[in-house]
Amino acid sequence: MDMILQTLPQVLVDGLTLGAVYAVVAIGYTMVYGILEFINFAHGEIFMTGAFVGTAALLTMNSAGWLNGLPAGLAYFLILATAMLATGMLGIGIERVAYRPLRRAPKLISLISAIGVSFLLQDIVRFIADIRTGNFIVTGISLYGDNLKLGVSSLWSGFDDAFLKTNTIIVVAVAVVLMMGLDFFVNRTKWGTAMRAVAQDRETASLMSINVNKVIALTFFIGSALGGGTGVLFAQQYGTIDPYIGFILGMKAFTAAVLGGIGNIRGAMFGGLFIGVLEMFSSANLSVMTGGALGGEYKDVVAFLILIAVLIFKPEGLFGKAVKEKV
Amino acid sequence: MNHLKLWLGRSQPAQALLLTLFVLFTAASVYFSDKSVVAFLLLLGSLLLLYLTTFRTSIKWGIGAVLLVVVIPFATSGGPAHQSYMEVATQCGIYIAMALGLNIVVGFAGLLDLGFVAFFAVGAYTYAIFATPQANEFISGQLFPLPGGAFWIFIVLGGFMAALFGLLLGLPVLRVKGDYLAIVTLGFGEIIRIIFNNLDRPVNITNGAMGLSSIQPPSLFGFSFTFPNQFYFIVILILAIVIFSVKRLEHSRLGRAWKAIRENEIAAQSMGIPLIRTKLTAFAIGASFSGMMGVVFAAKQTFIDPTSFTLLESITILVMVLLGGMGSVPGVILGAALVTILNLQVLTELTNWINQLTLQGIIHIPNSISPSKMQRLIFGAILVLVAIFRPNGLITAKNKKVDAERLKTLSTGRSLSVTSPAKQHSGGVGQ
Amino acid sequence: MTILRVSKLVKRFGGLTAVGGVDFAFPRGKISAVIGPNGAGKTTFFNMITGIYTPDEGVIELDGASIVGVKPHQIVSMGIARTFQNIRLFGSMTVLENVMVGMHIHLKAGIVGTLLSLPAARHEEESVYLEAYRLLEFVGLQELLNEQAANLPYGAQRRLEIARALATKPKVLLLDEPAAGMNPRETAELIGLIRRIQEETGMSVILIEHDMKLVMELSEHILVLDYGTKIAEGGPDHIRSHPKVIEAYLGKSAVEGDNVRLEVVT
Repeated sequence: MDMILQTLPQVLVDGLTLGAVYAVVAIGYTMVYGILEFINFAHGEIFMTGAFVGTAALLTMNSAGWLNGLPAGLAYFLILATAMLATGMLGIGIERVAYRPLRRAPKLISLISAIGVSFLLQDIVRFIADIRTGNFIVTGISLYGDNLKLGVSSLWSGFDDAFLKTNTIIVVAVAVVLMMGLDFFVNRTKWGTAMRAVAQDRETASLMSINVNKVIALTFFIGSALGGGTGVLFAQQYGTIDPYIGFILGMKAFTAAVLGGIGNIRGAMFGGLFIGVLEMFSSANLSVMTGGALGGEYKDVVAFLILIAVLIFKPEGLFGKAVKEKV
Repeated sequence: MNHLKLWLGRSQPAQALLLTLFVLFTAASVYFSDKSVVAFLLLLGSLLLLYLTTFRTSIKWGIGAVLLVVVIPFATSGGPAHQSYMEVATQCGIYIAMALGLNIVVGFAGLLDLGFVAFFAVGAYTYAIFATPQANEFISGQLFPLPGGAFWIFIVLGGFMAALFGLLLGLPVLRVKGDYLAIVTLGFGEIIRIIFNNLDRPVNITNGAMGLSSIQPPSLFGFSFTFPNQFYFIVILILAIVIFSVKRLEHSRLGRAWKAIRENEIAAQSMGIPLIRTKLTAFAIGASFSGMMGVVFAAKQTFIDPTSFTLLESITILVMVLLGGMGSVPGVILGAALVTILNLQVLTELTNWINQLTLQGIIHIPNSISPSKMQRLIFGAILVLVAIFRPNGLITAKNKKVDAERLKTLSTGRSLSVTSPAKQHSGGVGQ
Repeated sequence: MTILRVSKLVKRFGGLTAVGGVDFAFPRGKISAVIGPNGAGKTTFFNMITGIYTPDEGVIELDGASIVGVKPHQIVSMGIARTFQNIRLFGSMTVLENVMVGMHIHLKAGIVGTLLSLPAARHEEESVYLEAYRLLEFVGLQELLNEQAANLPYGAQRRLEIARALATKPKVLLLDEPAAGMNPRETAELIGLIRRIQEETGMSVILIEHDMKLVMELSEHILVLDYGTKIAEGGPDHIRSHPKVIEAYLGKSAVEGDNVRLEVVT
């Protein structure tokens, strides 16, 4: 117990950072599901692509020698914007090519197409990374890598101090800004209203002269841009990326979306933070709690078990409304 | 050209002649050449040709058996590449059985299972743990490894264990609806891999990431199976049982119930079909095929570790089913054979060829895009393209057509017995 | 004699009371109807009887035994079969196979029997084909037995749903808007079919229907729902001139004129 409390500040810092990442990625799942009732399996790969695009942009700027003259904040902003734009367009393209032709097909078929896209993306990114750098595992340049100490031990002697990077603050701050921006967009703007209308009832929305295809494309753009931008945050935070980071992370973000009630944007934010903290907590404490029988390797198992439990017992999530199939 | 096709379609002697010539030609080329992938593939293609003939089903099965048991093993034995041919054929057999198992789940019952390889792993570990000294770690008495004769019991046991896992997994999972099921099975597949990867403590059961090596080869009356051309016959035998079972089940009460659930769950339960139980049988039977082949796989490889049971494997099997045609037994067999051959033969050969050209300095292609590493790209592309352009696969599933005339004759002069129970109750003698 | 009795039946969805305290007894071996304007709670009523929804309050008894809380697939075995308002056939299976699925509960073949092709399983399987074929003859679809169900014309799909429900050998047959989308000729054929079912099998038939001609011609007993409550019950003549029924269908002003009868609604 003492050990759990000791590490708690660090667990919370790491968990909330990871949770912010999950939350923003979860929004991508939830937005698409809300509108198409379809799990965009490739969303995790879009996140991964964003991480690579951002890192590539940074490495390019560095080798061109621009990085020295540029303030780190501006560089950060540039790579974030590049990655978001690129992945947003990628999202639109994927929807156009691989999902739209299947909108009237059985669910099973469009899911399979999405899985196909996700594998395609993994390999394409691997090729490009491998050809460019000679290795598909890429280490970028850390813009805000300096360490900070959070002196929580002075608050209570049972706590250990927590350490974080400057980047951690950026991750959380950017995630919050993105989520607030999205919340504003969806609830306060004309396009956001159209989006909510299409999510409610596609047919009726189209009768109200809303261009449904445009709204769907926009949804994919925003969802994917958020995912891609988070990829950049992730790459900056954890340093090393590879083409396979998206899959499991996507699964956990999806768990977050389900936990918060799929289709519910604020629910996804909560779900992400919860899963992030839980993952860090189990990573740090599973071994202690089970007397060494189970180690931190089981942290993914914990996340999946949550997913399964939620889907079985409360499929509408914590903040969603139950929908029954009309008979 | 069309005339020829029409004439061939009608004339069975012509078909027989063509098939015989084709088999003789390809078999001879395989026999007399040192190693010719093309000839070998064409020889396997004779099975597809056989499928396309209009012979009676029983005759097709007979010829097919002769081709598989006599012609192919003999034709490949002529050159140094014998074992590698047989290895490919054996792998094909293993994957066909797994794909047929997944086809029950995805194709018949319409449940997208993305963690199917877990059942293969269960079968493989069931044999591997007891056919190596590993089991001594948690069972006292130094009884292990079991002798190779136990293999035959373990085929059944592996199938049974996989089915049991299917039930345990299905019980919670099958309550989940539609596309969520895909995610949950994917999660479970990962969980099982993580567990196998870490179950070297607190009690060492799977030996963790180190895997299990020196697995006992099967033996029968003192004869030990070690080479692919020997495993080939084991696989053919199991595969025969699997295909036979699938064909029987497809057009049975259970098979119809699976398809009914796939088509419309609410209507299916309104016809008295228990949803969960029927889905569970699909899970368990599909899993058992995988489990049996897992045992064979472990014995053939003599070494297994968790890296053989990744998500990529599950997706590979899904590609086989989708490419061949969901719900179509001949289609799935074709799909599994094609994907396995693509994986083991075509991509490898292509890579070797490119490497040679690179060595000779003719072209330069970086190692990173060598074809043998392109599975994800190829499988991903197949999934997307088939889903969009040919969702029914290469061979579309066919419904069973019945002889209307026969039923008509049988039906005349009988009363409508079907509704009699209701009549009883209407007599007023409430139950 | 009553085959199916409901009393004080209530179903709420959130704040909305779809069915609010309905009492009714369906006579055995007769054709009855449940009518009412759109949204009156008719289909919810059927969904409770077939176990798809569990009622919040009240009793449903089939032959004196409660079926509240019994799972949908078990209710079929107890003797209630249904068709659906929005047709729910097994689209990519053949017409004959659809009916064969309906016979599921009366077949015993297990996995082992099927795999080993034991004589009992084989014999049963053969008789299934014949029985299913006879049901298709009964509804007049025998010529289409090898067609895919989804390719049938609309009217034929409705009849196939009835054949499939009959295959479960029910005591009570629930038909949810069987004439919806049919032209007058098809409706006339349907009336003949429903009458034949009742006459030749003695089955109790309960139907939901908007086509008043069909309802009045077939039903001996009618339950009228509006906003989830019973506003009238009785024979066709009684219902036709019942002021509350006319009000529910045509609005209050219609009642004030003399001699309004419900035929006009059709």
